Amino acid sequence: MAYADLLPGEMRRKLAQKIAESETAREQAIDVMTILQGHFGYMSDEAMLAASELLAMTPLELEELATFYNFIYRQPVGEHVIHVCDSAICWMHGHESLLDHLLSRLEIRLGETTEDGLFTVLPVCCLGYCDHAPAMLVDRRIHGELTREKIDRILTKLIEESHSLPGRK
Amino acid sequence: MPRIIIDGLEIEVPQGTKVIDAAERLGIMIPRFCYLKSLGAVGACRMCAVTFLQGPFKGVQMSCMIDVQDGMSVSTTHEEAVAFRKQVIEWLMLNHPHDCPVCDEGGQCLLQDETVSGGHGIRRYRGKKRTYRNQYLGVFIAHEMNRCIHCYRCSRFYQEYCGYRDLGVLQMADRVYFGRFEDGQLESPFSGNLVDLCPTGVYTDIPARHKVRSWDLNRSPSLCIHCSLGCNTVANARHRTVWRVEGRFNEALGSEFICDRGRFGFGHTNHPIRPRRAKEGSSFVSLKDAMKSAAEKLRHIHATFGAQAIACLGSARNSLETQTTLRSFCEGLRLPEPHFFVNPHVKKKVCGAVARLDERVAVSLNQVAHADFVLAVGTDPLNEAPMLALAMRQAQRQGASLVVLDPRPSFLPAPHVHMGVAPEALNGVLGGLVRKAMEPGERENTALRSRGFLQSLPGEPFFRAFSDEQEKVDAVLSGLKKSRNPVLVCGTEVVRESTPSLCADLALLLKEVKGRCGLFYVLPGANAFGSALLSGSGESTFLDVIQSMERGFTKALVLVESDPFVHFPHQERLREAMKKLELLVVLDHLPSLPVQTSQVFLPTSTLFEVDSTFISQEGRVQWSRAVHEGGIPMEQWTGGTHPPRVHSTVIPGRDFRACGEILKEMARIVGGKGKVFLPDPWSFLERGPSAPEAPSRGNRPADGKRLIPRESSPELFPLQEGHFTLREETEHAFELLVVEAVFGTEELSAHSPAMEKWEWEPHMWMHEQDAFELGFSQDEVIGMDLDGGTLEVKLKVCPAMARGVLVLPRHHRLQWQKFSDFSMRVPHDCMRKS
Amino acid sequence: MCPQVLFSNRKPGRIATMEEYRQSGGYKALSLVVGKWTGKDVCAEVQKANLRGRGGAGFPTGLKWLGVPQEGAYPRYIAANCDEMEPGTFKDRILVHADPHMILEGMVLSAYATGAEKGFIFVRPSYESGARILEREIQRARDAGYLGRNILGTDFSFHIVVHRSGGRYICGEATALLNALQGNRPNPIRPPPYPTVKGLWGRPTVVNNIETMANVPHILRNGAEWYQGLSRSSGSPGTKLFCVSGRVNRPGCFELPMGTTLREIIEEHAGGLPPGCQFKACLPGGASTRFLTSEHLDVAMDFESLAAIGHRMGTAAIIVFDHKTCLVEVTLNLTRFFARESCGWCTPCREGLPYLGDLLRRIEAGEGEEEFIPMIRTMCGHLWNAYCALAPGAASPVESLLTNFEDEVREHIRQRKCPCKA
Repeated sequence: MAYADLLPGEMRRKLAQKIAESETAREQAIDVMTILQGHFGYMSDEAMLAASELLAMTPLELEELATFYNFIYRQPVGEHVIHVCDSAICWMHGHESLLDHLLSRLEIRLGETTEDGLFTVLPVCCLGYCDHAPAMLVDRRIHGELTREKIDRILTKLIEESHSLPGRK
Repeated sequence: MPRIIIDGLEIEVPQGTKVIDAAERLGIMIPRFCYLKSLGAVGACRMCAVTFLQGPFKGVQMSCMIDVQDGMSVSTTHEEAVAFRKQVIEWLMLNHPHDCPVCDEGGQCLLQDETVSGGHGIRRYRGKKRTYRNQYLGVFIAHEMNRCIHCYRCSRFYQEYCGYRDLGVLQMADRVYFGRFEDGQLESPFSGNLVDLCPTGVYTDIPARHKVRSWDLNRSPSLCIHCSLGCNTVANARHRTVWRVEGRFNEALGSEFICDRGRFGFGHTNHPIRPRRAKEGSSFVSLKDAMKSAAEKLRHIHATFGAQAIACLGSARNSLETQTTLRSFCEGLRLPEPHFFVNPHVKKKVCGAVARLDERVAVSLNQVAHADFVLAVGTDPLNEAPMLALAMRQAQRQGASLVVLDPRPSFLPAPHVHMGVAPEALNGVLGGLVRKAMEPGERENTALRSRGFLQSLPGEPFFRAFSDEQEKVDAVLSGLKKSRNPVLVCGTEVVRESTPSLCADLALLLKEVKGRCGLFYVLPGANAFGSALLSGSGESTFLDVIQSMERGFTKALVLVESDPFVHFPHQERLREAMKKLELLVVLDHLPSLPVQTSQVFLPTSTLFEVDSTFISQEGRVQWSRAVHEGGIPMEQWTGGTHPPRVHSTVIPGRDFRACGEILKEMARIVGGKGKVFLPDPWSFLERGPSAPEAPSRGNRPADGKRLIPRESSPELFPLQEGHFTLREETEHAFELLVVEAVFGTEELSAHSPAMEKWEWEPHMWMHEQDAFELGFSQDEVIGMDLDGGTLEVKLKVCPAMARGVLVLPRHHRLQWQKFSDFSMRVPHDCMRKS
Repeated sequence: MCPQVLFSNRKPGRIATMEEYRQSGGYKALSLVVGKWTGKDVCAEVQKANLRGRGGAGFPTGLKWLGVPQEGAYPRYIAANCDEMEPGTFKDRILVHADPHMILEGMVLSAYATGAEKGFIFVRPSYESGARILEREIQRARDAGYLGRNILGTDFSFHIVVHRSGGRYICGEATALLNALQGNRPNPIRPPPYPTVKGLWGRPTVVNNIETMANVPHILRNGAEWYQGLSRSSGSPGTKLFCVSGRVNRPGCFELPMGTTLREIIEEHAGGLPPGCQFKACLPGGASTRFLTSEHLDVAMDFESLAAIGHRMGTAAIIVFDHKTCLVEVTLNLTRFFARESCGWCTPCREGLPYLGDLLRRIEAGEGEEEFIPMIRTMCGHLWNAYCALAPGAASPVESLLTNFEDEVREHIRQRKCPCKA
């Protein structure tokens, strides 16, 4: 368990228990990856190997799942991942110009991470908040009825929060 | 049995037959990509659409997904189905790179065929093509993902059919990718089949890559001779080079797949160090002169010292033609019977197995794959006969339980029970298990004689040794009890001499009780079966020949495509004995040790250069056709340039002949004109008690022909003293087992450049506890001071293998032959870390 | 106000507590049934009520449950589908946030009916808050004896686990969902065998949408006849959660009798279109249904009435488009969505949808050709021969675009630009 040993003991214990309680280890693959992703920031190769040890799956078997899903990140992402809904209803409510606004504020293109490593913007299909369109998900928290101003407020708040953290200017 | 009408033709097929297969029986090949009979139907590619006109289904449906039912009428040419298939092929070609001119699949590409047959010729799609990054998949297979049409055959074969877990499906939607987690050698020793089953050129065979176009290849039906199973192959050659070997379907073997040893093990035939020129002493001569010289030297020894001074050694890699001719050669010249086995124990075991194999119990590989319980005794299927492991996996996938009783670590790619039983305990455990699994009622219902046999099988004592493995024992017993169609698989290398015969007895007993039971032997070598048939009835062994050489009685040794150094446990002793010979004649195509010391060397043809016959381990006679004339491969001859600048009327490096022909020619010279009568080689097969019917040359069924008697010797259950006794634990010594590995041990494939790149390091296995007690650990180099010198090898420890044994794969780069005799004991006190 | 059944405890900004649910009659069905009725009785009552699946296909729930073979293997499982990812659909989210115990009780009852001992609620990542609510309320229900070992003191036990998806549309397909739950790649598996025979780990498994589940307690408590009386239609009983989004004044989720007319839903409940906007078309049941035009605005929203005019009820998520919205662009958006969410298993879906998307993009961008129209039409037909229902669903808006708005499409091609853009 060379890679799983890199995990904090508490997390490792919890994961092991979670796996032990399920019908089969595989069943927990997504949860384990989501938790490791929270720890490592994204599913790095090391995180994949740690997960494969915990789940008794080969790295390939895990990769078959990791690369399928939207919310497992196999590439580095920013501290905050923004999933912007691009489905028909949000599109009708001005998704495109809002996305342009978001991206130009962050000075990145869709799918990229800001230079300071704070934000990654990804497209996502219908989030199920069509009654609050246009909508986006920031760190799995929903924000609806978006306007440019609202986006600015969300970003400003997150930037301020991160600056107030120790070790950041 | 249901009947169906396809394109107006009616056919009756077994229940459960897919429409696509029913059509194939009528000669209608419905286009397909994902469907492969051996993998089953998944309906992914949608290419096999046909129109259902009548019956429970209507309209366009996939013919691979629907079982034939009465009243169905299907049209493969209906306009709706044709239009849909045309659409599917257009879809599949959207992203294909159209790189057929540089693609090795070109010319034998299903995608090319179906594109044409589907009527897709004009590109309408204007979008961008998707591209992928390829992976390094190892030394055998090249990866070109851009060509992929996502039929899922590869991942399904790799994971489901073979049970390996390092190649699969990544990504989703139109980015689906077939590959590994990271670059690296594919772990499956069956990976080469990806080349055959990929409908286009995603996986291509590296040794042949960019070397030759498929339509330029000579192709011929051939055989795999890298183990005893006799898988069927297609050999491909051009420019005096064998480029590629593919699998070929055989009903009895049950599949079109072969292992990577069989696919990439042909390199010896092209190898630059293959000895191609006849030699007398150290000078090259023509084959004709060499034959004459060898024959005259033999005649001289014959005349001077008598026929008894001449010994001949064939091997299990000989074709049946070679073996029968050698036998005929010896009889015609009144020489002692030829030998085919170096190890007398192996000879006894193989002969014992061959003598006991009869129609009552013998099963084919395909039948193993359909058993409901497979008990493998003293064999390591993956390493000794890889396709057997795959057949066992197929049985398991259909619900069979698999049990392996074997001292070695087990690598079977399927869930199974493995009991690490030492060779000496195999009989006892096996006998005990069978006895224990018999229901009381079954015991009483067996014939009297069988009941006596049953009583003689050991009971409890043998399980005591396995008290810590009670769960396994229970699983085996319940599996065996439930089984209605069990198969016993028995090895012949690490087992004791009596084991093959015990297995035959037990198979007969189980058949009596259950109505059915199969027996399947694994033999050492492609034609070990032939070797046993032609070994004659004499008790003499090759060990006697060596002693006779040492005493100076045997003056001449003829090595017929055989290398005694491979199997003889004491290299130095053999070398010394051979020094005393007056004449060593070697016929071979491998660069063996004796080739260098021979007085006369006669180069012979390989499998690819002459029609040959082999008998597989189940007694199946099979034929291979020459694919080319042979000669020095063009690349080597021209130094890589093309076309060749040197011209001649003879084929360079083609001065060799089939072994049998050389023997015949020599017999003619030795005997002088008209004096030697060579018996018809095939007659040796006719007269043996176990050969009721010789194969006739005019009659060569595609799936081969089984050459076994209806019933073998009537002496059932010849139990002998000592069958079930264990060695007293007085000596502190290991028994060293020299065994096969998938790669690197078998004589022919060891000379394959492709395989050499993927060979593992020589190593030796030891039980974890044994290692602990001796203070050894994983990856340490262990030195053993033996009679013939010091043997040093890297240690691997395993918790799941027999105790008291050392398992040493017979690596061709490891000189292990330092033992005084075949029992190969390694006392604990001669072992140390080095 | 129409009778509120599923939303009887819905309050703005607040989740109904277990106590509130109980006071409204919650968990009464459980005590009525557990230990007293047989599983078969429960199935029979649900079948009598003719409850039809709310996930999109409308399969009779009782019939589905009866598909679990009597002699089928144990353990058996329940999978509650809360993965809703059909564009325009958000009823499951509202339901979880309104009254989670109704879903839990429905699941327990369905488990009782089919002999299941473990249930999974499969939740999409963007409903993380819903997943947490469910987990919290599962614990409360367990503490109260409604869930877990020996429910209500009987020997019936049932456990519920929340399973978080990694997020993909295809996971909402029942068989793909089962694959996802087991940690396999979520490719659909074409039946037979049906999940009720061979589902999770090869055992009988019932997969139902959570809205379907939520109906069950009410049916058992009030009887099939009461349930049928809720509806304005004969073939589709009960009430239905209608999601309305797009160009309307009050987008939202409304519980209305089955058979309420489309016009009433849009104009009365969703507040009609904003000033200056005229109704052009709507998708009546989510992204995988056909564009419905104003001539059919008076259709009763139930399974039969929609089928009679060539439409599908789907998830009853009504997406409204006004006269200024370019339907080619809408269709392009939908097609891209489906292409992106294809699992990649079969050719029509994996290759056909991006191809369709390419053709639509060209038309929208003014690069279209007349020949594209028959190509698209043919291709839509061929998509029906795909492995699962995703590609046929994707074909529906495209095909209806050509059927109902061919002129608009041709106008794009003729003008070499989108006529809706200035």
